[in-house]
Amino acid sequence: MRHIHLTLFFLLIASFFVNRSAAQVGAPYIHDPSTLAECDGKYYTFGTGGGGLISDDGWSWHSGAQRPGGGAAPDVLKIGNRYLIIYGATGGGLGGGHNGRILTMWNRTLDPQSPDFRFTEPVEVCTSDGMEDQDAIDPGLLLDPTTGRLWASYGTYFGSIRLIELDPQTGFRVKGNKERDIAIDCEATDLIYRDGWYYLLGTHGTCCDGVNSTYNIVVGRSRSVEGPYLDNVGRDMLHGGGRMVIAAHQRACGPGHFGRTIIDEGVEVMSCHFEADLDRNGRSVLAIRPLLWQNGWPVAGEPLRGGTFKIISERRGYSLELAVDFVRMKQERERFWDIDLSKPTKPIANQTLSEVIGTWPHDEIRVRCSDYMARPHQHWTITPVDSAGGYLSNPYFRITIEGTNRVLAATDTKELTTVSSFTGADEQLWRIEQLTDGTFRLMPKRIPGTPTLNTRYCLYSAADSTPTLAEYDFQSDNAKWRIASLTEK
Amino acid sequence: MKKTFLFLCYALALNIRCWAQNPIILDQFTADPTARVFNGKIYLYPSHDIVPPAGQRQDWFCMEDYHVFSSENLVDWTDHGVIVSQERVPWGKPDGYSMWAPDCVEKGGKYYFYFPNAPREGRGFAIGVAVADHPEGPFTLEPDPIKGVFGIDPCVLVDADGQAYLYWSGRGIRGARLKEDMKAIDDSEEMQGLPEGFKEGPFAFRRGDWYYLTFPWVRKEKGTETLAYAMSRSPLGPWDFKGIIMAEHANSCWTNHHSFVEYQGQWYLFYHHNDLSPQDDKRRSVCIDRVTFNADGTICEVKPSLRGVGVTPATSRIQIDRLSAASFPLDGHLSPVSSSGTSDATAIAFPGWHVTLPQKGSWLRYDAVDFSGLTDAYLVVCAKADANTDFFVREKSPKGKVIAKVQLTVTGAQGTFRRNRSGQWLTLTAPLSHIPSGVTDLVLTCEGTGVSIDWLQFKQRPRYFSPVPPKAKPSTPDDQGFIRRWQLMEPLPQDIPTNTVFTNTWLRQTFDNAFRSTFKAQGAKPKGKWHTLDSETYNVRLFRFAEKYGQQSYGNLFWCQTIIDCPTDIEGVRLAAGSNGASRWWLNDEEVLLLEGDRRMVQDDGVSRRLTLRKGRNLLRCAVINGPGLSDLCVRFVNEQGNPVTNFSVQAP
Repeated sequence: MRHIHLTLFFLLIASFFVNRSAAQVGAPYIHDPSTLAECDGKYYTFGTGGGGLISDDGWSWHSGAQRPGGGAAPDVLKIGNRYLIIYGATGGGLGGGHNGRILTMWNRTLDPQSPDFRFTEPVEVCTSDGMEDQDAIDPGLLLDPTTGRLWASYGTYFGSIRLIELDPQTGFRVKGNKERDIAIDCEATDLIYRDGWYYLLGTHGTCCDGVNSTYNIVVGRSRSVEGPYLDNVGRDMLHGGGRMVIAAHQRACGPGHFGRTIIDEGVEVMSCHFEADLDRNGRSVLAIRPLLWQNGWPVAGEPLRGGTFKIISERRGYSLELAVDFVRMKQERERFWDIDLSKPTKPIANQTLSEVIGTWPHDEIRVRCSDYMARPHQHWTITPVDSAGGYLSNPYFRITIEGTNRVLAATDTKELTTVSSFTGADEQLWRIEQLTDGTFRLMPKRIPGTPTLNTRYCLYSAADSTPTLAEYDFQSDNAKWRIASLTEK
Repeated sequence: MKKTFLFLCYALALNIRCWAQNPIILDQFTADPTARVFNGKIYLYPSHDIVPPAGQRQDWFCMEDYHVFSSENLVDWTDHGVIVSQERVPWGKPDGYSMWAPDCVEKGGKYYFYFPNAPREGRGFAIGVAVADHPEGPFTLEPDPIKGVFGIDPCVLVDADGQAYLYWSGRGIRGARLKEDMKAIDDSEEMQGLPEGFKEGPFAFRRGDWYYLTFPWVRKEKGTETLAYAMSRSPLGPWDFKGIIMAEHANSCWTNHHSFVEYQGQWYLFYHHNDLSPQDDKRRSVCIDRVTFNADGTICEVKPSLRGVGVTPATSRIQIDRLSAASFPLDGHLSPVSSSGTSDATAIAFPGWHVTLPQKGSWLRYDAVDFSGLTDAYLVVCAKADANTDFFVREKSPKGKVIAKVQLTVTGAQGTFRRNRSGQWLTLTAPLSHIPSGVTDLVLTCEGTGVSIDWLQFKQRPRYFSPVPPKAKPSTPDDQGFIRRWQLMEPLPQDIPTNTVFTNTWLRQTFDNAFRSTFKAQGAKPKGKWHTLDSETYNVRLFRFAEKYGQQSYGNLFWCQTIIDCPTDIEGVRLAAGSNGASRWWLNDEEVLLLEGDRRMVQDDGVSRRLTLRKGRNLLRCAVINGPGLSDLCVRFVNEQGNPVTNFSVQAP
């Protein structure tokens, strides 16, 4: 009987996870998503085979984007007030043969409903003839912020990954530019620049084998855009080197086709597809993850899908807590100079909610920060709110004291409070994003009384023990928090 | 300072490789070409047609500056950039857009550039001079135009005695003696003996004892321009009209304008046409064809060709539609293909062309293709057809030796992702059955139904392996320790749909059986022939080996073996290998490493336990098994620190 209960319990847990997808929600079905592009407040990504996805908020995606030309693995980049789309016009080895063509074209908008929506005639920028060690598909774009020069990497396992230079004004190949081999053993590459380094991200492993696809994304870096791209042990990507950025998730496998999006200073995400989402028929889906930088290397953060946490200020290390009375725990005290070593020790139970909740006020309770003591007023349950939409990396969350409906909320004076029940109001919803250094920023969806959604004010340490809402600043530890799970053993 | 400027000029110079097919310059419009030989090189001074900017008359000529180009072979042209532009002309209208046909001559080590331009005051045209120490500039502009010259299209003839003459077009064709400074004239006179009808663009030159005055001429009512000429024994005539050099353009491009130049013993006619902009004859492009003279000094009529002049490297994209001759009229078989595209930044669309071989037996010829340096090559061709067909590339004639047979399969092909590709441009490759030597002519023959061809190109294959002769000296590992000399067995086909099936269990069983039956069992013998090869790269390209020696490129088991010969025992080393796909490694018949699962060839993907390489011969063997993908391997020995071990030699067993 107990056994059955346990099974039921695990089934419930499992169904809980079914709803907490490894990837974006809606109908995010795509293969080889291009780097996310923003146009008139909407997000767009284009995939293999034409078409693409649109999202209003970055979290929920649906089909509807339009890209003519078919073929494999496009990329898109906004240059000035136009969007440059680059794509392989052929299907690589799958289409029969490795004679590929890569084309570029422009559009003033990505919105198919816009009267300005019109692609320029595609221009060929490179080819492979089918015999050479080269497969001209899967292009990725980089506009070098230090020089203004435009680069594209392309290629598959069939031969090498190559680098070419394009004219950022026209999208044409730069005259006289020669292809340069920069890697082998990957496909669906992308180049990014950060802090004096160029990074080449490639997709390793096998694609297109459903739940058995072994796709994974690896990276090497170089001081020059032309390479050599070395991995963390100094191995050249031309010799197959690469350091893992993202592998399979618990419920999705085969991440491929990296794209980086910078939201704010220190707030970055990476987009990719999972070859198979185990919760959705094993379909290929769009996923957006926090992008962390560890010792100069990009690493995908885990998706935040809820749980119970302590929320620690990066300022002093104090824990966010309810401003309630400290309730002393009981203990049979032994004098420390007089311990009887022959007596066995006994565990002391943690303080529980029921032991203290009676001492708490019933209406609003302020919050403060203090040293973590594993007490109930310091334990926060973070729960995604499905109906509330989201942003690029996550859905909106409610943040409640574990075991209660007492919810953290923003006030119209840009301070914090907790109220006894969750109403679904915007000031009770939180945007939680992992920053590039692994810490988090927490932002209320809306400051009460303001017309627009909040993207400026975040949970902030005004003093060691005084949390408030203030403008996000990546350079300040006051704006950063660590979220440490209490549910994982 | 001057040096710096020159350096800048060179840095800005762009090399245009267009193989002198007509037209010769494809990245901009060029017209009214004057070609001159200076210091052993050809210099080309054309007008520079542009698409009129807003506010200018859209259906008229529009020119704001001059570029100069140079070449040593009439094939590779270097654009040296702008030498004179309208806003820099002291006496000119800065927005006149009237920089028509120019000329440039050398006298006394100075280069004199003559150009027509709209003057700041008044109407019509004046002719200016700019002077430089080098043919490509920098040119210094004279403050005023040449006094007494009203018109366009200056041409200067410097006679053998050093006396220079200026010709131009302005109410008829006029000529005058230039003063010693080359910047002023004596009285001018209208040239006598020329036919009635509109004339402009004089180009005068001397050949032997004959002076030639050549000029565009409209010979018929409402006609377009021909190129015509007259001869004389003196530079300012009177002239004896002789007839036509080139007839009216077939597509009714209204203008033509030209120059004659002798280069390396051959006379050439430079002229223009509107091939790059067939809908717009105010935007023109320079062409070249050879020209010959009769014994009496008269000029043989020149038919404009698509092929142009010069030798085309076989390794370039040969624009086969710029052909020399064909079995069929070109009307309807030669048309622009809009593959080069446009963008917002360049309002000009430069169309390419293609040619259609309409039916079985039809052929075209393309002259002078240079095959030098090609030894192991293949053909790449861009073609389309409505039905499955084939065509041959032959040498010299329609019945000539076949260089390549191209099969164009557009429907009915096997394979999951195959689509009907009829009517689509496809890039195909074909092996060569014969590689011509030196310079020869290509003939394409249609062997099935019709086919259209855009371009073709011959490519040398990279060298992946070098054969090792039987008595070769032992090799050594390369700088990074990779072992490159191998005996490779011809690959054994395997039925493997995906590499993710390479489980530990399956691999052990498969490799065990293969090892036993190949090397250990009673009567065991290799199932394929061995080849001893040096890999040209650190990785051994098994895929390319299979392509040459196997029944199939994909889905193979490869046996590889080599001898590691050590001067002394080498202890504590590890075998470090990477392979695509799975592999198993034996040192002296003892298994030392298994790379299992969906492997890619990664340097040091896996290593063996610590091993001892014995003094003397050590037999290193491996088997690689692969499904789809480019199979290859790389292997070396590394020490405790992961650094390569190289103090041994490598030879075939």
